Formats: sequence, C-alpha cells, structure tokens
Amino acid sequence: MPWVSLLILVPLAAALALVFVPQEDRRRARLVALSGAGLTLVISIVILVMFDRSSGVMQMTDHLDWISSVGLAWDVGVDGISIWLVLLSTVIFSLGIIAACHRLPERGSAFLSLLLLSEVGLLGLFTSGDLVLFYVFWEFMLVPFAFLIWMWGGSERKRAGFTFVVYTMVGSLIMLVTIVSTAILARDATGQFTFQIQDLRGVPFSSTASTLLFAGFVLAFAIKLPLWPFHGWLPMAYTQAPIVVAGLLAALMSKAGVYGLMRVGVPLFPEGAKNLMIPIAILALIGIVYGSLLAWRAATMRLLVGYSSLAHLGFIVLGIMVFDPMGAQGSVLQMINHGIVVAAAFAIVMVLARGSGTEDIDRLGGLAKGAPRMAVAFLIVTMAALAIPGSNAFVGEFFILAGVFRQYAWMAVIAMLGVIFAAVYMLRMYQTIMNGPLRGAREGGREVELTRADAIVLVPMLALMFWIAIWPASLVGGSSRSVDRAIAPAQIAAGRPPAQIAAQVIPNPPPSHLPLPGDEPSGQAAPGAQP
Amino acid sequence: MNAVAGLPLYIMSAAAVVALVLSVVPLKGMLRRLPEVTGVVGILLTLIMTVALWGDRQEAFHGNIRADRLSLLLTWVIMLSALGTLALSWREPAGTGRRGEYTALVLLAATGMMLVVTSGDLIVLFLGIELLSVSLYVLCAIEAWRERSLEAGLKYLITGAIGTAVLIYGFALLYGMTGTTSFSGIGERLSEAGPLTSQPLLVAAIALIVVGLGFKASAVPFHMWTPDVYEGAPTPITAFMATGTKVAAIGAFLLVFTGATQGAEPDWRVLIGSIAAITMVVGNVGALLQTSITRMLAYSGIAQAGYLLIGVAVGTLKGAEALLYYLIAYLVMTMAAFAVVVIREREVEDGDSISSFTGYGRRHPWVGLVMTIAMLSLAGFPPLSGFIGKFLLFGAAVDADMTWLAIVGAVASAVSVVYYLRVAVVMWSPVPDAARPEKVLRVPGAVAGVAITCGVAVVGLAIWASPVLDLCRGAAETLLAP
Repeated sequence: MPWVSLLILVPLAAALALVFVPQEDRRRARLVALSGAGLTLVISIVILVMFDRSSGVMQMTDHLDWISSVGLAWDVGVDGISIWLVLLSTVIFSLGIIAACHRLPERGSAFLSLLLLSEVGLLGLFTSGDLVLFYVFWEFMLVPFAFLIWMWGGSERKRAGFTFVVYTMVGSLIMLVTIVSTAILARDATGQFTFQIQDLRGVPFSSTASTLLFAGFVLAFAIKLPLWPFHGWLPMAYTQAPIVVAGLLAALMSKAGVYGLMRVGVPLFPEGAKNLMIPIAILALIGIVYGSLLAWRAATMRLLVGYSSLAHLGFIVLGIMVFDPMGAQGSVLQMINHGIVVAAAFAIVMVLARGSGTEDIDRLGGLAKGAPRMAVAFLIVTMAALAIPGSNAFVGEFFILAGVFRQYAWMAVIAMLGVIFAAVYMLRMYQTIMNGPLRGAREGGREVELTRADAIVLVPMLALMFWIAIWPASLVGGSSRSVDRAIAPAQIAAGRPPAQIAAQVIPNPPPSHLPLPGDEPSGQAAPGAQP
Repeated sequence: MNAVAGLPLYIMSAAAVVALVLSVVPLKGMLRRLPEVTGVVGILLTLIMTVALWGDRQEAFHGNIRADRLSLLLTWVIMLSALGTLALSWREPAGTGRRGEYTALVLLAATGMMLVVTSGDLIVLFLGIELLSVSLYVLCAIEAWRERSLEAGLKYLITGAIGTAVLIYGFALLYGMTGTTSFSGIGERLSEAGPLTSQPLLVAAIALIVVGLGFKASAVPFHMWTPDVYEGAPTPITAFMATGTKVAAIGAFLLVFTGATQGAEPDWRVLIGSIAAITMVVGNVGALLQTSITRMLAYSGIAQAGYLLIGVAVGTLKGAEALLYYLIAYLVMTMAAFAVVVIREREVEDGDSISSFTGYGRRHPWVGLVMTIAMLSLAGFPPLSGFIGKFLLFGAAVDADMTWLAIVGAVASAVSVVYYLRVAVVMWSPVPDAARPEKVLRVPGAVAGVAITCGVAVVGLAIWASPVLDLCRGAAETLLAP
C-alpha cells in the first residue's frame, strides 16, 4: 500500500468531498471532516508501526513521475524526523477539527474543508522528497491558512491576511529561484539534473554558491518560523485568526520552517550553513530574548502564547545551527513538544476567552476557584511551557542547551535567559488569571470550567505531554539516525572532532559514478548517490 | 507549389467573408445566429485542419507561409481564444444588430493573428499584424454609442499606428542589413557573417522591432494604452485582445528573435531581458491600486507579458518551450477570469468594479471557484498551471545565466499575490447588509461553458503537464531548426 501517498490524499479527498456538502448541512460536514481527519490519523499510526527505526534515510517512498522532462516527480516518504512531525500534524489536526466541529462557525463545511486542505499542505511538506514538491506543498499550505484568516478572522482580518501572505510569498518565491539554481548548479557539478533531495546531498558547491543557496532557503524558512526580525506578520496573524487556526499556525506551520532547515538547508549546503552559522544563531538568540520580553508585556493571552512561541522557536533553531548531535536531537524533540504545548495553550486560551468573553490578561483573575479542572490543566500546560524539570519540554530544552554549551558556551548562557523569562511570563499569566481576587467573571469562574467537549480536546494533549516527559527515548530512538545524518555534512564542514560525528557522509557524485565525457547533462535522475 | 500549408488561412478568411456577407442579408428567427454559427464552424474546421497538418514543416508561397509544429500550436491557441470570444459574446454580442460584422471582424482579427504566427517572412508578419490591428480598432469601438468604447478604439488606433510604424521601420533596417525579408534568409546571413552583429544598424533595427512588437504585447514602456483600451472595449473583445493578440505578439517575438536573428543574440538578450524585468515590475505594481477589474486584468496582462518575455530573452530552446507552455496556461487562466467578468457585468451596472464581486462566490459557488482558481493560477500558486509555467520560465532564466531576471520575476510575483488574492477574497466575503437588491439572471450557458472549461483546464494543464510540454518542445525545436 502506498501509505504515505494515502496520508496526503485522504484529507484532500475529504476536503473536496466537503465542497459538495451544502453549508446548512452541518451534521454531514462534521461527519466528513471528522472521519477524514480520523482516517488520516489512523494511516499515520500505521506508518509509525511499519517504520524501520534502524534506518536514517527516507523510507516507504512512493515515486511517480509528474513532468519527467524537467525532473519533477511526486516523491513522498518518511524519515526519522518527518515521521514525528507527521504524527504531530495528524494528532493536532484531529483535535483541532474536533474543537472546530464543537463550535462550528458560520459556513462550517467551507471552514472544515480549508482546515483539511491546510493539513494536506503540511503533511505533504513533511513527507516530500523532491525539492519542487516541497515548494508546491509549502505554497499549498499558505492558501487555506490565508483564507481561514480572511473569512473567519477578527475585525482586522484583511490586513492580517495580506501581511501574512506577502511576507511569506516574498520568502517562498525567492526559495523557488533558489531551488532551480540549486538543481542547475548541482547538474554542473555532478552531471545529473534532479530535484530529489536525496540525490542532491553531498554535491560539492563552491563556498559562495553554497552560502547564497543556503541564504535563499533560509530566508523563506526564517519568515515562516518566524525568526527575529522576520516576525512582522506574527502578531497580526495570531490575533486576527480564528483561535483554532492560530493554534494550528503556532503548533504546526512554524515547524515547517524548522523542518526545512533540517531537511534541506543544513544537509544540502553544509558549507553555506557553516558560513552563516553564527549570524543565524545570533538572530535566534535575539529572538529568544526579544520574544520573551514581548511575551512578558503582552496584553492578551493569545499574544503572550504567540510571542512565547517566537522565543521557543529561537531555541529550536539554535539547537540545529550549532551542528551538535545532541542539540539537533533536542530540536527535533522540542519541535514535537512545542507543537503539543502550544496547541494545548491555545486550547486553554480558547476556553478562557469563550467563557469570560475577553482575552485580556489583566481583566481576568481568580478563576481557579470556580474552575478547578481548568486550573489543573492550565497549570500543567504552564509548567510544560516553562520547561520545569520533569516536564516534556525540559528534556528537549536540556538537550538543546547541553548541545549548545558543548559548542559555544556563551550562546548557552544567553539562551538560559529564555528559560528564566519563560518562568516569568508563563507564571504571570497563570497567576493573574487563575489566582488572586476574582475579576471579570460573572459566575465566579464556573463559566470557564472545562466542559466534556473541551476535555476531549485537551486530555489527549496532556496525555502526550506526560508520555514524552516519562519516556522521551521513544521519540529520540526513532529519530537519532536521521538527525545524525542530517547534520553530519555540516559538522564536517565546521571541522568538528570526529568523535562527535555519528553518521557517514558519502560524496556526490561518488567516485564510481563520475560523469563520462559525452554524457548528457540533462535527463532523468541517474541511480541515486546514496547506497 | 504546395498550398496545403495555407489551408487554415483560407478557411478562416472564407468564414470571415461569409459572415460579412450574411450581415447584409436580413435573417429571421433561427437563422439570426447564422453568422456566429459560420464563425464557429470555420474555427472548428481550422482546428481540425491544423491537426491534420501536424508533422514536419510544410511551406506555401515560397516559404512565406509555413505550417510547422510551432505555427500550428500557436494557431490552436489563437483559435481557442477566438472561439472563447465568440462564446462569451453569444448571448449579447457587443454590437447588437451587427452580429455579422462583429463575427466577421473577430474572424478577421484571428486570421491576422494566425498570419503572424505562420509567417515565414517579415512582410507577411507585418501584414498579419496590420490585419489583426485594424480589425481590433473597429471591434474596440463597435459599441459606438458608448463614449468609452469610442475612446478605446481611438486610443488603440493612435498608439497602434505608432507601433506599427516603428515596427516597419525596424523591418526595413533589418532588410537593408541582410538583403532579404525571409526569416531563414536572415538567420543564414547573420550566422555566416559574424561582423554583422553589434553593428549600429543591426542594433537599431532590433531596438525598433522590439519597440514595435512591445506595443502589441503591451510591454512596458509601451503599455500606456492597455488599461484604457481594456476598460473601454466590450469585455469579450478585451478578453480576445488579452489572449489572442498577446499570443500573436509573443509568437512574433519568438519568430523574429529566438528564430530569425538568433545569430545576433548578444545584441538583444539584455535589451529584451530588461524590458521583461521592467514590465513585470510596472505591471504588478500598477495592478495593486486598481479598483476596476478590467483595468486590473489589463495591468496583470502587462505583468504576464513580462513573464512571457523572459522566455524570449533567454533565447534558448528551454526558454521557448517554457514560453509556449505558459502561453497556453495564460490563455485558459485569463479566459476564465474574463468569462466571470462577463457573467457579472450582465447583472449589475458597475460589474466592472472589483467591489461588485463582493460575496458573489457565496451566491454562485461554481463561478466563485473558477475565479479563485484563475486568480491563484495567475498568481503562480502551485500546483496550478500558472505555477508550472513560471517555474519553467524561471528555470530557463537561471539555466541561461540570467538569474537576476528570475529573481526580479519572483519578487514581482510576490507583489502580484496581493491583487490577485484580493479578488479571490472579495468573491467570498460577506455581502454588506445595505446592498441594493439586484436582478439575478441565469448564467448564460455558453459563457458558463467557457468559464468551467477554462477552470478545469487550469488544473488539467498542471496535472497532465508532461504531454503538453512534449508538444511545446516539439514546437520550440522547429523554431531553432534551420
């Protein structure tokens, strides 16, 4: 069975089926959307079961030529990094769609259809093994998200949507040119014209070319993440989007940029990554401090969570950019952790805002008394977000900081600030809203208590947090080989001691496969350079 | 002499003449539609003829008319554009009571476009351009009772006349330089005589030709007429100008530059490249502020001409191939958009303004969907055909060491997203409560047919891009073949 292709096609089919469901028939819309998302979740679990943890390369690949004359192909598969992001997406989307179904906005079937389309984009992105397909899904994801903001967002939705789209498009179109340039420069170097990420690994670009190409990709990734100072779209998009969409943006779309860095940027352009390592790490550090400070002073819960995610993504980027196996491993783990925690935080904000009618932190207070279950859930999420020892995020942040410390102690020192600030702003939010004198509640806090429907959304996320906190090895074990393989070329380029380099790097083209004089430089991908 | 190659031309001219004669015959009842039916039959016959001629190059009139893969492919595109135009004006032809003349002029313009792309000689090419221009001057002004329409016709006439004058001057210089007017002859002269290149006379000839054709393709800085004319002309005619004329003009660019003067490539490469870059930037920025949808589509058409010119500027087989694919994609995207505009214009008086589309998609989901797909594709969102075309064009630019052109194109496309998506968003936003009640008309079948066919084609061209690209490559190869 082409499981990975099915994973992408099932939500697509459900989204298209929703087009035929009339807007008034909310029951059927719910049914189609839930079964689509549920089936996708089941498929992703099947893929996890069949996944071979001992291999670091893409597996379960499906390949179908699309436009063979220019080397475009449908090529999807999973490796140790993407499998977890796929699972994260299917889980969070299932929960998000449950939440959306519970309070379906006007024109519900269109809303659900667009949600499923954005799931298609993300899943496709996390599984594509071809650079052009990667770009296709990268853009594909933008359209439904933009329309979700435009059609169901707050009062400033038009401006928010356009800011979001234009920021992203500038980055991604430059990425398109970079993709084409990569393939053409690689053709000059190796003699085969291909967009397959696998076959582009190890291509000996010149130092300048590698730097420029890496920069071209990183611009797009940095905007999507967002990395400071490319976060201009973030406050507007997060505040104006419907809350479910804002949660998905923070939990999943931000991972697209990190994933791109790990899957395309660093492995394909080790030289360029090395040259730009310090600048990008500094941007990430600024993002950590700046995002934390903004979160500290944020007026609304939503902005606080949004800015905190700017800081957390800084951590994740830092973990990758120091080229340390431990740091990179921590980044992967933290991507998953952050996805779950932010989604849970948005779920909490959703319930609080719905019950109390406001998202302003200062207008709420003392709600814990009337809503004990809410208080428990909120506290758990707060603790996870500030990475208290014993929480899931602690493991990830510890890995990252340990890895960063091993390479550049000064960076770790600055990054530590982020951990401290996280405690400050998260506890400020929790304390103001849940403790102290009662404020902004008409029914003594009972209106923000978790209902059964809210619990269905929140409890699975809390369970996953506990799972990762108790047994992080279940994730680390599956991803470490792919992580080692992803950063090994950059480690060599940066001249790290061989003891730290855990994966072998095969030159491309391998000595046995150098082009012979007279070989056609274009044409189909020759046998891959990887064993 | 082998006259078979000219058959499509004969058929179209005959259909035009018949339609024109029918316009003086009083027709009643069912026969009222006879001119249009003649036109449709003529176009269909031409389409069949081009399929029958498909294959190796055939020539007629001593090589003045060629039928090779390139000319036949472009003829197809032009015929589809003409067919779409007739379908868009099926219910209410712009000149009510002048069905015969209207149809005949559309057919004549299409014949002129066909003549341009099948020409093997500068003179024939010029004849084609004149034929299409003169017919379009009249068509623009055919709603003579509307001041706007008259104004459009007059503006087009004046600027068009300047354009053709400059063009013929350029042709004359080129002829003076090489001593021949046939494309193959010019090609041979330029490739054998190295010292000819970079001579002031040749450079002047090239510059003048670029200017002349630039007027027709509405490339910047020769684009000033476009928004006014597009806005004033009857909408089906605007659609025809936006698609058919553009195809003919870009086809002429291909024939003259990538084809005939290939030997002088260094002389025109940067020139056309810069024009492409300016055109993309000005077109996309100009479109940002438009409130009228036809004006917006006019600026969008300017910007698209810029993308298309990338394919000419690189001067390679890859560029020509990408260009041909993008032309086909451009035809269906633009036709789909104009079909929706025609549908809306029937219902409200200010159907021309973007705001009149507010909430239209909620009332007619299919129309809204077609418009959304057309806009997304024009903006270059994957996986639609507009994306594939841009991808190929940018790829050709990078491949030919013109990466700067691809980067300008990429940034310009990022700008374009704003105005294209604005239309798509307006289509689906809620209708303001204070909206006037308006008449709701049934969407005419022919127009809906065009809209849906084009909408499906936008997606289909992307999924089955491979066979289409094979066709385009075959066509591009004949261009560079001796």
